[in-house]
Amino acid sequence: MANFLAQFQTIKNTSDRLVISVEDVSDIWPTVKPAFEARLPFKRATLNNKTRNPVFVEALPAEFILTTDSRLRSRFPHEQFLFWFREPYANIVLVTCEDLDEFKTILKPRLKLIVQNDEREWFVVFVSKAHPANDQASKMAKKVYAKLEVEFNTKKRERCCKYDMHLPEANFWEDLESKIMECIRNTLDRRVQFYEDEIRKLSEQRLMPVWNFCNFFILKESLAFMFEMAHLHEDALREYDELELCYLETVNVTGKQRDFGGADHGDDQAALVNPGNKALTQIVQEDSFREFEFRQYLFACQSKLLFKLNRPIEAASRGYSFIISFSKSLALHERILPFCMREVWVTTACLALIEATTSNYKDELVAPDIEKEFFRLLGDLYSLARVKFMRLAYLIGYGTDIERSPVNSASLSLLPWPKPAVWPTVPADASTEVLEKEKLILQTTSRTKSFGIQRKPLPLEPTVLLREANRRRASLSAGNMSEMFDSRQGPMEGSGFDSSTRMSPPRKALASSSMSRTNSSPGNFEGSIDRPMRLAEIFIAAEHALKQTISNPELWKSLSSSEEFEQKYLDLTKGAADNYHRSWWKRHGVVLDGEIAAVAFKHGHFDQAAKSYEKVCALYAGEGWQDLLAEVLPNLAECQKILNDQAGYLLSCVRLLSLDEGLFLTKERQAFQSEVVRLAHSEMKDPVPLDVSSLITFSGNPGPPLALCDKDPGILSVTLWSGFPDDITLDSISLTLNATYNTDEGVKALKSSTAIVLHPGRNTITLDLPPQKPGSYVLGVLTGQIGPLRFRSHSFSKVGPADSDDFMSYEKPAKPILKVFKPRALVDLDAAVSSALLINEDQWVGILVRPVNYSLKAAVLHIDTGPGLEIKESHVIEMESSAGVSENDGDQVQNDDAQIRTLNSDKKFERLILRDGKIEFPNWASEIPSILWVLVRAISDTLSRGSSSATTRRESIVDGMRTIALKLEFGAFHNQIFERTLAVHFTYPFYVRTRVTDKCNDGTLLLQYTMIRVTSR
Amino acid sequence: MATTACFIIVSRNDIPIYEAEVGVAAKREDAAQLHQFILHAALDIVQDLAWTTSAMYLKSVDRFNELVVSVYVTAGHILYILDYFIVEIKIVFMLLHDSRNDDGIKSFFQEVHELYIKTLLNPLYLPGSRITSSHFDTKVRALARKYL
Repeated sequence: MANFLAQFQTIKNTSDRLVISVEDVSDIWPTVKPAFEARLPFKRATLNNKTRNPVFVEALPAEFILTTDSRLRSRFPHEQFLFWFREPYANIVLVTCEDLDEFKTILKPRLKLIVQNDEREWFVVFVSKAHPANDQASKMAKKVYAKLEVEFNTKKRERCCKYDMHLPEANFWEDLESKIMECIRNTLDRRVQFYEDEIRKLSEQRLMPVWNFCNFFILKESLAFMFEMAHLHEDALREYDELELCYLETVNVTGKQRDFGGADHGDDQAALVNPGNKALTQIVQEDSFREFEFRQYLFACQSKLLFKLNRPIEAASRGYSFIISFSKSLALHERILPFCMREVWVTTACLALIEATTSNYKDELVAPDIEKEFFRLLGDLYSLARVKFMRLAYLIGYGTDIERSPVNSASLSLLPWPKPAVWPTVPADASTEVLEKEKLILQTTSRTKSFGIQRKPLPLEPTVLLREANRRRASLSAGNMSEMFDSRQGPMEGSGFDSSTRMSPPRKALASSSMSRTNSSPGNFEGSIDRPMRLAEIFIAAEHALKQTISNPELWKSLSSSEEFEQKYLDLTKGAADNYHRSWWKRHGVVLDGEIAAVAFKHGHFDQAAKSYEKVCALYAGEGWQDLLAEVLPNLAECQKILNDQAGYLLSCVRLLSLDEGLFLTKERQAFQSEVVRLAHSEMKDPVPLDVSSLITFSGNPGPPLALCDKDPGILSVTLWSGFPDDITLDSISLTLNATYNTDEGVKALKSSTAIVLHPGRNTITLDLPPQKPGSYVLGVLTGQIGPLRFRSHSFSKVGPADSDDFMSYEKPAKPILKVFKPRALVDLDAAVSSALLINEDQWVGILVRPVNYSLKAAVLHIDTGPGLEIKESHVIEMESSAGVSENDGDQVQNDDAQIRTLNSDKKFERLILRDGKIEFPNWASEIPSILWVLVRAISDTLSRGSSSATTRRESIVDGMRTIALKLEFGAFHNQIFERTLAVHFTYPFYVRTRVTDKCNDGTLLLQYTMIRVTSR
Repeated sequence: MATTACFIIVSRNDIPIYEAEVGVAAKREDAAQLHQFILHAALDIVQDLAWTTSAMYLKSVDRFNELVVSVYVTAGHILYILDYFIVEIKIVFMLLHDSRNDDGIKSFFQEVHELYIKTLLNPLYLPGSRITSSHFDTKVRALARKYL
């Protein structure tokens, strides 16, 4: 049956729709043909699928073919069953007759003969040629048709319909179509049954030695093809799926050594969306097919049906898995395939699949989830193609053009090298190319990283290419190998390129004199088969081998020069990035954006590069993946530096500094800092604020907060941690304090104008604190100034990245650093003795000074006497501690301790001098109550004359009132002021009676001067 | 035991709070960074998958050549343990490995989860912050030796 394969193929290619045969009994077909064919394709067709469920087919194409047509006549009967799918699905017997006799004698027997073959589905179409105007003819036609119905209609089934050529009945076409459909449905059911039976029979013999996959395939595909013709794509797809499973089983189970295929020219171009790529007869092999071509063929058939079913997303998803699994098969057969066949095939397969699926994708009808999935698949396909393409490019020496980024490194360094049986060798005539390549290698200098970062470049290769290629050369013995590599193992660790450039000096010297440098028998290039290949030779060899492998001129062009490579690389990267972004896989997308940025950077498109790098950095910083951030942030900084984006550049430097210390060397971190300082001192014109919260953190000192009384200034000590690797000098520092009780209160900034040097690590700074309003305060924002650069830090802890509100919760709860108490009495001034003083006499007035939990150190008391009172300047003022005075005070209970102390201690006493109305307190008086004795004299001009009247006395009380205005300045900066005016009562203490008691002889009068105390009543 | 295994705990907002290379393979210097890169990219898949299932163990979610990413997602909820209550935020355990031992990986994840909850019980540990406890590290490495 395998012989039929070729025939099967041709039949399949020629027949693509259902055939309806027309038995033109009365030679009338040419007349009615246009009207009949105008009905095609059939709309609203209903067919049964494999499980006998009705399926609605929107447009069913079909073809009317006369039974006399050569296509139907030339078939041999034995082919009929095998290729049954191409046989007519309905038979229309087209008749016309205008005479009853003619019908009876000629037509009827002929029709009986035609329809006696019960196998076929048939019905009769009677064409009436009678003109409606011609009554006679119409009647006759009706009579004949009636006879026809009697003869051929049965109770079960009506097999006749009448077509009026001139005026077709309205429902004729409906009738005709339903009859055709009935026929097709019945035929289809019968044929499906037939094929299924055949297939089942064959399947049962599957394990027998005579079993032939080709036969099975022909049957199975016939069935599938029939479904496809009937537009039952779902069923056709299922057949192909089953066929694939069966095939894989035969491939895996049979222990026969088969030819894998894939060795033909052009096989490197994947044919997974092109079923007609190769004729099946070409790939047949004994009783089965070559795996390489056949699996692609099956997938191509499946994908074709999926596209017809409008399921490009499924095609993409199946395609991706197919590429992966097929790539594994290719790896198994890599030894017999052309060099790098696998990589080339995967690249072309991905691109072909992307092209096919996107062109079949209509996005209007798809749910968002499905759409995401589709774009994700496209992204996967693009990035798969990208990786394989990079591998090819690396092999022919474009490795220097590939950015050594984590994504490229992860993709390439975990991907093993191709494993050909023998690594390709340099063609004999390629010595000039090798020289060229060698020059090129020497010229390329790897890009030096900014800030002199010494980080080892990430590898793009699983192992050193030089070693791998030489190991796989047949001519090189293992002994040679070890000799060669033992001596050079050190420098060659890492990347192939690096090793080549590092080894360059000796090579340079030798290259001028002789081409081979290590060989003991120099000279003959071609003869150097025993010596290990150099890197340039490996590249050239690979290039020539790939030229043999790659048949697609497009792909080869992309590998022909480094510019072309870059273009293709960029296309693939962009494709992958765009699709990942559309699928919301932002991590995949953004990372590839970084690759695009690297290319833009290389070409000097720094603006574009910076934008993309920013995205990458934002992603890594936002999610706190510092290792990855450390890789890309220097690139962003470099772009910003070139673009003169000072603010951005400074921020990047600060972010670099705030990364984990282990990620960079101290020298590198110092370079970051020096950049910051250099910029701060030189170029900037406008003040630039810079957030350094992650770098400089600060907190109050441990322990209770600094407590101050109202209006008191103080000195605040704050601990700062500097994340800078070196000392950094800040011109000034200011720190805001936030009141906790009231957010409306404007924040107050404490400033230190002197330069402050921050050492790495912990620093303590002190700030003068002006008087604050009562309340408690927490630290707010720290601002340091270097030139026009303003460092701002608002964080207290170093957990988590800055700039993110989500991290607020990670901060330690703010601890109050300062408490300013509400105004309260800090001191009390009172008169110790203030009454019953005598007017016009020198009197001691006692002023009781009592500090209330507040030091009166260096306090100054201003004494200002009111009118009618004067202080004797000449007299000293006496001050004594007064333990006993406050003893009586009931409301000073809490002072008990102090009182007891003062009681026990010796009574202190000191003379003070009043200067300019001021007295300075001695130190001993700062904590304890004391009494100040001031000598005053109240002056009254009007001496009472001894009047005894009440009014006089009353007047005298008012008269005797004097005031002493006291103003006590105290506190550390004499900022606290306590004022009080003491009233001092002076009395005219006596009635003075003077009388002459005696008159002496010598003219002397003896006076009696009586002072009578007036007691107040 | 797996030759390559990189274990990462990812906290809220996809921040890594613990990383460890727990494989026995001789470490390449750059391996850790590449592993991190692969695991970070796999978060894209985790975010899609985590909503589709209620299971904690998501099995292998991604392949990268020979390496497989297995993921275990804890449910964010409040736990009551011995009169304490602790808030457990949703975290993701990710393991990049080349091991085929699915049960072992599951057990590893479960035990690490238990260990993590014990860490949460520490009043000095701020949920969601970096796990710096050397005890935790030792235990995780021991578990890796046991199960992977």
